[in-house]
Amino acid sequence: MSDETVDVLIVGSGAAGAAFAWSLAETRMNILCLEQGDWMDPSSYPGMQGDWEIRQLGDFHFSPNVRQRREDYPVNDIGSPIAVSMFNAVGGSTILYAAHFPRFHPADFRARTLDGVADDWPLDYWRLAPYYDVNARMMGVSGLAGDPAYPPKEVPLPPVALGKLGATLAKGFNRLGWHWWPSDSAIATREHEGRAPCVNAGTCLVGCPQGAKASTDITYWPPALRKGVKLQTRCRVREITVSPTGMADGVIYHDAEGVERRQKAHVVVVACNGIGTPRLLLNSRSKLFPDGLANRSGLVGRNLMFHPYAMVTGIFDEPLEGYKGPTGCCIMSQEFYETDASRGFLRGYSFEMLRGFGPASTALWGLSHGRMPSGAEHHRAYADLFDRTAGMVVICEDLPEADNRVTLDPELSDSDGIPAPRITYRLSENSEAMLRHSVARAREVLEAAGARDTIDVAPLPFAGWHLMGTARMGTDPERSVVNEWGRSHDVRNLFIIDGSIFVTAAAVNPTNTIQALALYIADTMKKNLANLFE
Amino acid sequence: MTFRFSDEEARALACVLDEIIPASDDGRLRGAGELGLVGYLETALARMPEVREMIVHGVRTLDALAVERTSLHFPDLGRDDRVRVMNEHAASEHSFPPTLLILTYGGYYHDDHVLEALGMEPRPPHPKGYEMAPDDLSLLDPVRRRPKLYRDC
Repeated sequence: MSDETVDVLIVGSGAAGAAFAWSLAETRMNILCLEQGDWMDPSSYPGMQGDWEIRQLGDFHFSPNVRQRREDYPVNDIGSPIAVSMFNAVGGSTILYAAHFPRFHPADFRARTLDGVADDWPLDYWRLAPYYDVNARMMGVSGLAGDPAYPPKEVPLPPVALGKLGATLAKGFNRLGWHWWPSDSAIATREHEGRAPCVNAGTCLVGCPQGAKASTDITYWPPALRKGVKLQTRCRVREITVSPTGMADGVIYHDAEGVERRQKAHVVVVACNGIGTPRLLLNSRSKLFPDGLANRSGLVGRNLMFHPYAMVTGIFDEPLEGYKGPTGCCIMSQEFYETDASRGFLRGYSFEMLRGFGPASTALWGLSHGRMPSGAEHHRAYADLFDRTAGMVVICEDLPEADNRVTLDPELSDSDGIPAPRITYRLSENSEAMLRHSVARAREVLEAAGARDTIDVAPLPFAGWHLMGTARMGTDPERSVVNEWGRSHDVRNLFIIDGSIFVTAAAVNPTNTIQALALYIADTMKKNLANLFE
Repeated sequence: MTFRFSDEEARALACVLDEIIPASDDGRLRGAGELGLVGYLETALARMPEVREMIVHGVRTLDALAVERTSLHFPDLGRDDRVRVMNEHAASEHSFPPTLLILTYGGYYHDDHVLEALGMEPRPPHPKGYEMAPDDLSLLDPVRRRPKLYRDC
């Protein structure tokens, strides 16, 4: 047991925890972050080795259930058509993310007012805009100003290369008269704050040895540590403890050897993602909070939102050099983003162009789609696919539904005996309709770009990358878990700063918004230090 | 942890691998067995005891089936007989697990010889990466001419 009571204890060092720690560090308070994973060694990332594509199926798989590293916890996602993806390390899931870095649209904060669905956020785009700007500089965002899908915004670095593949698809969009734009990407396209520029190696999803991709272990954490924040790894937090007056007073965690320890704190900040955060809160039961901490509304764990994804792959006659360039980031289309009720659904979706497959991934993708026979036909089939595929994903807005939720599994637990999260999730009719529409439009644009064949998967099973909504923010304590600046309605020195607090999901990757929110909450705390708990 | 097939098992498995991915007709690409993928499988299977057991069982039952049908061990069969025996074996309860195909495809397509034959440099993507030609952003001109797509609020 540590005798020291820290001023601020952050649980989780990923996208949100890192940004928050960096921002709050200027207060010179005693800040400690506990992280269940460890520092990653970029020189050991699979991209430095020949078998990197295979390791994506093993120790660098998106799913903790497949990876089964010591620092991972299992997730019972049998009750969901979308499996949960995450990574546990300093930097969290930014280690494996694609670094797609779009902002939300202004209308994403007003779904109820504009479209009569879900709820409005208790803040708007313009409140977050300055924090998006800070985040763009800290993470090193590349892109191109002038996108008609967005209000004017700061983009510090030039866009990632389109390459032959991107240009081919862009021409398809132009033929249909549809919107497209180079993706905002948290990838340094030239040297940025000591980070080397992207070399187009195409291994983003298994970590970036170059350091061009902005994972928070190399962006926010070094300056946060220099400013005095302490980061302790291999500490898996079991529960948040409360004082007799109902205030959070610290946590109980397991160290690297599994030994149970206690850390006391004046303020507890939870940043464990949309699955880990409700898991921790629900596991923090006490006499004062028998249904879990900060859960008097009964909403902790509810309203889980993923983004239902579809993947549509075009097969072309010509080589596309698709193994070159950042894997997930190329161009994006928001032609169908804003609501048009005549399409048969409300809200909308984005298209995100991926690159092609590497040599081994081509064979394995072909195998999984019945396009890669063994035997005499093998080489002909392979030649038909290798460097001739262009992938795109559709990212659909998911709407909050109370029955889509995270609970504690009564049987499954991690290696320290902490109950695992159990996911109950189904696609709504709105999501199903949106997926159908989007897949048909994706085929259309791939064919316009010259694809001779397309293959689609919807929903994409391993696409639970975006974990949102399970401790949502709002002004009404009956209908939300935290207030408009992340403070628990029930426990006034408990803050939540990750994707859990999202009210709606928008139809873009959430990391930029998660971090902008974390920076906004840190700033609001700094402005209210004198009366933080009132 | 290490794992090695017996010599007989390795010889039979190499023949199986050559049927999964045979040499290409033009001779540029060798078969998966000829390429030495058995060694790769031994390394991979050392970490996968359950799959390893199924593959060893598959090799043994395949060879036994060959002997039963032709009086010859699997590696001594001609091409047509190998395919016939493999098809019968694949339809039986002793068939190889799908993981064998996944491991074979995955191992084959990161082999240096194969990468060279595909026209790629035989090296990991990092640290050198790949050159990409400058983009023609005039492609964006029609998009730039569009009015704003987002809703004000």
